Amino acid sequence: MSAEALLRELRSQLPSERLLTEREQIAPFECDALPVYCARPVAVVLAQSEADVVAVAGACHRHRVPLVTRGAGTGLSAGAKPIEAGVLLVTAAMNRILELNQHAMTARVEPGAVNLQVSRAAAPLGLYYAPDPSSQIACSIGGNVAENAGGVHCLKYGVTVQNVAALRVVTSEGEVLSIGSQCLAQPGYDLLALLHGSEGCLGIITEVTVKLTPLPATTRTLMADFACVRAASDAVSAIVRAGVIPAALEMMDALAISATEAFCHAGYALDAAAILIIDLDGDPREVEAELKLVEGVLGSSGATRVQLAEDDAQRALWWKGRKSAFPAIGRLSPDYYCIDGTVPRHRIGDVLEAIQSFAVDYQLRVANVFHAGDGNLHPIIMFDGREPDALERVEGLAAEILEYCIAVGGSITGEHGVGLEKINQMAVQFSDAEIAQFIAVKEALDPVGLLNPDKQIPELARCQEYRALRHAHE
Amino acid sequence: MSDIPAEHDRSARLQAQVQAALADQRPLEIVGSDSRSLLGLAPDSDAISVGDHRGVIDYQSDELVIRARAGTRLVDLEHLLASHGQRFAAEIPAPSAESTLGGAIACGWDAPSRSLGVSIRDTVLGCRLINGRGEIVNFGGQVMKNVAGYDLSRLQVGALGTLGVILDVALRLAPLPERQVSRSFAVPADALEDWWLRCRELRPLLSASCYQQGYLHLHLSGRAAALDELLPTLGGEALDFDWAALRDLRSDFFCADQLACLYLPAQTPVEITQGEALLEWEGARVWVRDGNHDALQREAQAAGGFLRVLRGDPVAPAVAAPQWHQRLKDAFDPEGIFNSAIFGSHFEGGGGR
Repeated sequence: MSAEALLRELRSQLPSERLLTEREQIAPFECDALPVYCARPVAVVLAQSEADVVAVAGACHRHRVPLVTRGAGTGLSAGAKPIEAGVLLVTAAMNRILELNQHAMTARVEPGAVNLQVSRAAAPLGLYYAPDPSSQIACSIGGNVAENAGGVHCLKYGVTVQNVAALRVVTSEGEVLSIGSQCLAQPGYDLLALLHGSEGCLGIITEVTVKLTPLPATTRTLMADFACVRAASDAVSAIVRAGVIPAALEMMDALAISATEAFCHAGYALDAAAILIIDLDGDPREVEAELKLVEGVLGSSGATRVQLAEDDAQRALWWKGRKSAFPAIGRLSPDYYCIDGTVPRHRIGDVLEAIQSFAVDYQLRVANVFHAGDGNLHPIIMFDGREPDALERVEGLAAEILEYCIAVGGSITGEHGVGLEKINQMAVQFSDAEIAQFIAVKEALDPVGLLNPDKQIPELARCQEYRALRHAHE
Repeated sequence: MSDIPAEHDRSARLQAQVQAALADQRPLEIVGSDSRSLLGLAPDSDAISVGDHRGVIDYQSDELVIRARAGTRLVDLEHLLASHGQRFAAEIPAPSAESTLGGAIACGWDAPSRSLGVSIRDTVLGCRLINGRGEIVNFGGQVMKNVAGYDLSRLQVGALGTLGVILDVALRLAPLPERQVSRSFAVPADALEDWWLRCRELRPLLSASCYQQGYLHLHLSGRAAALDELLPTLGGEALDFDWAALRDLRSDFFCADQLACLYLPAQTPVEITQGEALLEWEGARVWVRDGNHDALQREAQAAGGFLRVLRGDPVAPAVAAPQWHQRLKDAFDPEGIFNSAIFGSHFEGGGGR
């Protein structure tokens, strides 16, 4: 491995303003949106084209230097944390929308295109891009693919993998592959599915053809207040039992309600223990029928108040509160840490109660605002990083919560990815044979192990070590 | 659930069979009910039979998820789900009453409703399999969203059993629609393009389309109130079109020695000059019986699509990234014991686009 030789080669191919090596130039790229994990790479490359990506991947491969790819840097699992001995490749500037195809209902975009921009560009055609992470005003489509990002409307419309038709990918050797097409099937293995959620460990995405969805003819939004969290949780299952798949079904607990209400005055009930926000969309006649069904279910599930948004302005305000929950909670606490686990819907109530009891043990406060319809929890741990043991307690609490999610039949991550953050919990969710199978896939497609090498899949020795530690602790 | 045996767990026996084959370096062909041999997938070496590894492992209707063993018959699962007012979120073709869940996943063969809904792979939440090291491994899970590790469960869909022996699968479900109706229209071929555009306006109540012998058949489903209002303005005849036979490839059309289908980008009509055609997916999947497969493959590729042959003259596979296919095969099955002939005929070759 020779970083010096690599830099000489890159300097001959890239202008200095796009090859950053000075400390102050690199500083903004030392972490993603999980800033507790930082590192300063040898160089940061600001790619402008697929040719740039090919050049950097090829050079890294020749010189055996690790390569981490970063989109907009909004990831919450440190998946884009650089490696000290490596190169950080930033695709954010590759942000063009290359083609909107009204007939095929697709958009071909560069990986740095921002999620919400794609929907805005498609709106005049009566179309939009359905997956909508809370960070959609900033996050990039390439990053969405790498993490298989979700969002509030995934219950009905699927996550990223269900909404992408094709990819262009640069391999660890610097070759360009074209995966998928405009067809509704593909010959061979489902490489599209394999690349989704592979966290930059199998290839570098240089172009994405996303599927667009017709804008719904009607959207109606309900908000239901509950006097206890358990009743709100049970209402979520009851809605699904009634045969309704809402476009979105979100829940906030009392702490999240008070934080967001203070932040944007959405009109949430400050005396509620939990609220549900529910979107029903589609054919107006179907929406009316389902509205009645859901109102009935909420009434019989113990909702203390059910409101129907009067107009688009009220709908937008309710959603603004939900989507700004993280910064709102950030105002209440010097630091916060958002985690991401998925559980079966009928266990949401159990898990929320367990989280509160763990939080007491660790002397921390936790707010909950999450995708209830998907069973995808986002406990937000509030803490003060200036306290000497605060981060340790936060990490301990986060680990307890994630491992509880596994115990009730869930997963350590629904949409934020493993990254570095949850790498220990991989050893709890998977056996050695399963981890070894992941490693075999990684070695098959990145034989030298240069792409984001320390992320997502732990080494077997580390798994055994973590399991032993955990066992000793118990 | 009474008609599905709960306790037919043969995973230990299947694992022992794989380990024995590994020890002897003996290749294995994986068989469910053998109902898909009409797709050219008949085994020709030692068979490992998954057909009696059956039964529902977990079904909680509130979760909209079912987990069942690979040998479970699709018809049994459909009956069970229907008794709870549910169905598979993606329709799954069952070429015979004996067709199994594992075979459906391995084939990844999508139904006529795929273009207006989701594909089978979109609904796979988790998968347990025996890999080529003789280990039982489990990927994904039973929850709606799960990005822990690589998505090795969806990778099994359409892999034709070349990466391992599927033991059980968790699938996403959907509520049964309140009402389903079929309407048929006499439509000349040159008016189809306008109809495909009209089909878009019928979303989300339109669930499938099929064009054959001058008739366009539309399958509609949804809330009764919505369909009651739509139907009088839609027109068409209430013919007795057999959607189940179309889905399960049991219609007379599919009884031919030469049978293939073209997958095409949306709104990319291809003129079929030889043989007889049947269009699904608003023209994006075109079945051709008694056609010239080489010529059809050229047509499909020129239009940005590809050809799959079910019966008759084979064509060279046109997979993207053939080197990745071989490496993935080796990563799951280093000794090459699973369905190696199928791997050669479906996944090898340099026809990459």
